[in-house]
Amino acid sequence: MVLELHVWGPAFSLASIDPHCLAAIAYLQQAVPRGKWALIATSDPALSPTNELPALRNGDIWIGGFRNIFYYLAQYSSGEWVLDAGLPELEGADCIAFSSFVESHGQPLIDLSLYVSSVNYTTTTRPIYNTIQSFPLPYLTPPAVRAAAKERTAHLGLSSLDLDTQDGEPQGDASFIPASLRKRATTVTSLIAQNPEITARIKLDVLAKDFFGPLQKLKGKKRYLLSNTTFSSLDCLALGYLSLMLVPELPQLWLAQTMRKKYPELCAWTEELGQQIFGGPADIDDAFLTTRTEGTTSKGGKSSLPWEVPHTGGMIGVGGVFLGNIADSIPVVGQLRRNTRMRQHGGKAPGDELQSSNWQSITTIGSLVAGVGMFLGYMFHQGFISLPENPEPERNGTGLDGYGDAGAALSIYANHMDAGSQQHRGVEAHGAPVAEVDIDVGSNGVKVTEIVS
Amino acid sequence: MPSNFSHRDAAPKPESKFSKQTAQIQNFFSIPAPIKTLFDFVPVLVYPPNELPQRAPKPSRIPTLYVFSREEDIAAGRPSFNPGCLKWQAFLNIAGVKHRLAASSNHASPSGQLPFLLPAADTSNTNLLPVRSNQLVKYAEDHGGYVEESTSMRYEAYRSLLDHRIRNAWLYTLYLEPSNFSAVAYPLYVASASSNPLVRASLSHQLRSAAEAELLKNSSIIDIDDLYSEADKAFEALSILLGDDQWFFGCDKPTLFDASIFAYTHLLLDEKMGWKEQKLCRTLKRRENLVKHRKRLVVAYFGG
Repeated sequence: MVLELHVWGPAFSLASIDPHCLAAIAYLQQAVPRGKWALIATSDPALSPTNELPALRNGDIWIGGFRNIFYYLAQYSSGEWVLDAGLPELEGADCIAFSSFVESHGQPLIDLSLYVSSVNYTTTTRPIYNTIQSFPLPYLTPPAVRAAAKERTAHLGLSSLDLDTQDGEPQGDASFIPASLRKRATTVTSLIAQNPEITARIKLDVLAKDFFGPLQKLKGKKRYLLSNTTFSSLDCLALGYLSLMLVPELPQLWLAQTMRKKYPELCAWTEELGQQIFGGPADIDDAFLTTRTEGTTSKGGKSSLPWEVPHTGGMIGVGGVFLGNIADSIPVVGQLRRNTRMRQHGGKAPGDELQSSNWQSITTIGSLVAGVGMFLGYMFHQGFISLPENPEPERNGTGLDGYGDAGAALSIYANHMDAGSQQHRGVEAHGAPVAEVDIDVGSNGVKVTEIVS
Repeated sequence: MPSNFSHRDAAPKPESKFSKQTAQIQNFFSIPAPIKTLFDFVPVLVYPPNELPQRAPKPSRIPTLYVFSREEDIAAGRPSFNPGCLKWQAFLNIAGVKHRLAASSNHASPSGQLPFLLPAADTSNTNLLPVRSNQLVKYAEDHGGYVEESTSMRYEAYRSLLDHRIRNAWLYTLYLEPSNFSAVAYPLYVASASSNPLVRASLSHQLRSAAEAELLKNSSIIDIDDLYSEADKAFEALSILLGDDQWFFGCDKPTLFDASIFAYTHLLLDEKMGWKEQKLCRTLKRRENLVKHRKRLVVAYFGG
């Protein structure tokens, strides 16, 4: 049985556009013997039970998510295809901790560099999806990925990278103190705050330093991150993230520049290991096994990774995925679809909810119905909606008569509320002099008649 | 009705259906005439501002830390039931910064998040701005507290275990595990906030969907087995890191890192919390040195 690893397609001369897919490729390349696995650039996360790529297929079994894949491989091979087995205790703990660190600190950097930055996204990242997905899908996937990336990085306050959101109003909540209570003083901070590009650059450098610094220290002079001999799952993960930071050629190169300038050893390690594991640059022709226009000579990628042609299922398959994506983006329907996914995966039946949550849902629905009912009632009362068999009677006067009994009651109240004002009203209505001017233009000049009542 | 309306009746304008509809829509958004008439009668009078109510907090001589807590725990200085608050409460206790506690909610905080610290009033500076949690380390340093942090390269990595792996499992087990939500989170966060069933229903829905949104930020699906197994591995790594030492990173006094891990271990091991689904608690109980570490902190800084 050949295991199939389904991943996002190649980009930037790397085997995949997603760091977790790169990590999974590196892991399988090192752990699983050649010929026992195949690499397929499906670029369709709906295949996987966890709705994310990479996904591993063994016959009818689908495993989604790179951590689950590592566990499954260990299980499937009875502990043979494991990379972390030989690690001593402290290194094992480091492997767990730094894996979490690489994921949590590396993801925002990749998000910012590839997706949030408008220039990089429009000129480089979005066009790549056109090459790795079939026709209608690139309309939906990149915006969805970008929206998720923006949400993940929202707390960093770096939306100035995203030019789409700048509508003239100043971004950035520099302080939670209301403007009226703030002291006006020109400090270095306030000067810098006036220039969002500089602020963004400083923040980005800090973020990059926080990520690369501990990794460089951990590696030290060792061959791999944890030891001289063992290539661990942490190396796979770090390689995935670092390659995607270093290799892409983007218009806004701050991330790769920072890395090359301040952490040259880490760069050299990434490039060397990438060459060793992925076997040189890969491109779309390698992944889809299409023949090149200028000949069949590959840049060296073809031989090292066991690519296979993806089966997209033709028009119907692509159409189904397209409709599924659209359904996910509709507010209520998408939520329902996501809920079903979680429940299926958690192995919970829909009936095992508790009494209290039932009661809560009943109150929620009840208040919703009551709210809608009140709104409809008001609409009826106002005469926006009228029942067909009972056409709205002509209203003869405006004012309070139009509000039925309640209006009548109110009008009595209003009319008797203040005797003085009532008098004033009377004066307005009857006593005030009204002048009418009639102008007649006739043959014998202009005749003006004034009537004062 | 007064006769000033009569001229409109005398000459009714021929209305097309469209103009009638637009008139109706304008009518819908304008203030209804009776209310407008009522308002016309009310004179505009500006009263002087009210005195602050009797129970309003007065500037105090000791700084006040606002945390999620029960009223009966405040006086005794017992740990808060919110890990974010407990972390800073423990940190201030460890640093030796004198403070008193106040039970509060997110609505009281200027940043929308608890905890925050209101500095003491008798200091020379008139600047009585609340101190947010991310400025508390500096505040403790400025006010003579004991602040020392490890500079180990492992610090950030193991902190990410707490801030992501363990926090995610905590969010799931507290808010999304139905039995725990109704037994633990509901009385602490929902029932204490309001007695109205509609408000309670909406609050609990908000809490649960916020937790769900937070978990879905980093993955496309909430993979429960993965959450628990990652938390298990995180506790294992922390347990190995602590080893036989008293405090993390071989320090001779506890630090902010010890306070952050205590915030989770204490709440998971505290029997008063009344966990129903104890999966996360069980994984923690297996690491004996972490259990002892929590015990040491309770004895030394929370009076047993």
